[in-house]
Amino acid sequence: MNTVAPDGEQPFSGLDDPPVDATVLRMLLGGQLRRLREAAGVTPEQAAFKIRGSRSKISRMETGKVGFKVRDVADLLTVYGVTDDQQRKALLSLARQSKNPNWWTKYSDILPDWFETYLGLESAATTIRSFEIQWVHALFQTEDYARAITELGHQTGLPDEIERRVGLRVKRQELLTRPGAPRIWSVMDEAVLRRPVGGAAVTRAQLGHLIEVARMPQVTLQVVPFTHGGHAAAGGSFTVLRFAELDLPDVVYIEQLTSAIYLDQRADVERYLEVVDQLSGAALTPAATARFIEQVARQT
Amino acid sequence: MTSDDTRVAGGGSASRARTLPFDTSVAHQARMYDYVLGGKDNYAADRKAAEAWLKIDPEAAFTARANRAFLGRAVRFLAGQVGIRQFLDIGTGIPTADNTHQVAQAVAPASRIVYVDYDPTVLAHARALVTSNQAGATDYIVADLRDTGVILRQAAGLLNFTKPVAVTMLAVLHAIPDSDDPHAIVATLMDAVPSGSYLAISHGGSDLIPRETRDGIKGVSDRMQQRIAYRDRDEVARFFAGLDLAAPGLVRVEEWRPEPDGPAGRSSAWCAVGRKR
Repeated sequence: MNTVAPDGEQPFSGLDDPPVDATVLRMLLGGQLRRLREAAGVTPEQAAFKIRGSRSKISRMETGKVGFKVRDVADLLTVYGVTDDQQRKALLSLARQSKNPNWWTKYSDILPDWFETYLGLESAATTIRSFEIQWVHALFQTEDYARAITELGHQTGLPDEIERRVGLRVKRQELLTRPGAPRIWSVMDEAVLRRPVGGAAVTRAQLGHLIEVARMPQVTLQVVPFTHGGHAAAGGSFTVLRFAELDLPDVVYIEQLTSAIYLDQRADVERYLEVVDQLSGAALTPAATARFIEQVARQT
Repeated sequence: MTSDDTRVAGGGSASRARTLPFDTSVAHQARMYDYVLGGKDNYAADRKAAEAWLKIDPEAAFTARANRAFLGRAVRFLAGQVGIRQFLDIGTGIPTADNTHQVAQAVAPASRIVYVDYDPTVLAHARALVTSNQAGATDYIVADLRDTGVILRQAAGLLNFTKPVAVTMLAVLHAIPDSDDPHAIVATLMDAVPSGSYLAISHGGSDLIPRETRDGIKGVSDRMQQRIAYRDRDEVARFFAGLDLAAPGLVRVEEWRPEPDGPAGRSSAWCAVGRKR
């Protein structure tokens, strides 16, 4: 289960394994290129010839072991008969993302590989759905709230390491205001609002920030109140990332203490979609959620 | 003002609303539609049923797209040429591009739209993916279209029933069996709106598909959450009894005021737009 394997091969490793050079992004794009090639009835040799490469280069690309040259991907898409402009754009943008130095590379000393992968996926996603039972979603945290959580997690951390971690989190939030920002639909348990993180003042400010965030056009927040009783996601927090490209699978991300689980097998992903769908139907509406948060803020 | 409250119908046990339980193990029309239209909000049972359907009735994929395109043209016509500013969209389904409020508010930002669906999860998708224009307003009601009293009472929170309203029911009435008298349901809704109001319907046409296909579709539909009952042209025309049909009258969805560059094909769904005298 601790794998990302678009086609049941090439397990994705956590921290314990040697560093991996393949991001999920590459694997998604690689898996997609393979499906397109097979659908077009093109052999790896033929494909390799078209991009002036070897059969093993095609194989390395399709298993996500190397970065992609945008031109190679464009040529391959043409060979595979992919002419739809939107489909091409989506895949080429993934190719570009898989190759560009990412903004977070300067944080690489504090970033485990499994989290860099997540950042890559997060910035490529068009829709981010999440269920939170513990903390406010990272993209919605205030600096003080993020600092309080970071201090909890890194009690031996030096002050400037803590600040860099907080800085990373704040930087990540630029996603919310960039052009073409993803749609974020976050369902959270009431416990998230009630837990005093960093003291009452920090929590109150965080609740106020949530109300602001909820007004952003691409953000939807819903709370599952305690009165709702039990819910289907007893397991814990998770995030479902969706990408524009029609054939790219959704990816479920579950963060653990020292690693993360990525799921992109349909049967696995659908269990999580089911949970988040059911919760969305049962949770307070966005409008009622905003009123609910205001009420909790007054009581905090 | 923007209101995006969902009103869950009911309260008293007497008026308790019928809503659909969340069940991904049984195929659901809204999610099958989503799959056929290229969406990702569908489950294995939905895809299996949709594939079975397409095998029996390969034109259904075109019909789904053409129905969606009809929605856009009908709402643009109503908001633009007719000047309707209030929409009651019953059987909303999972949103895709160009939903009713987007089309209407692109023409007239102050347009008000009430979405109605009996599946709380489907409606949650509509709500989450819909960003209402600030000047207009969008509201959501969880109710079965058979519960017209509930719908009308709650829609009155946003819509002014002394001014014209466009009632749209696209690809939804064929999920209502004759035993529930869909014609009476539509008549009740149209009785509640004033003169100058409009009705837009699209509906699977039993006379647009061969008999074997009809039998095959019934086999798939028996395993869905909705039982699909296609109707013939006369039965669809009866929904518009007493209304004046806008040109070109009752036609297949792709024939209703077609636009250049529209998808080419032949659908198996009737549609019309009628005005209340």
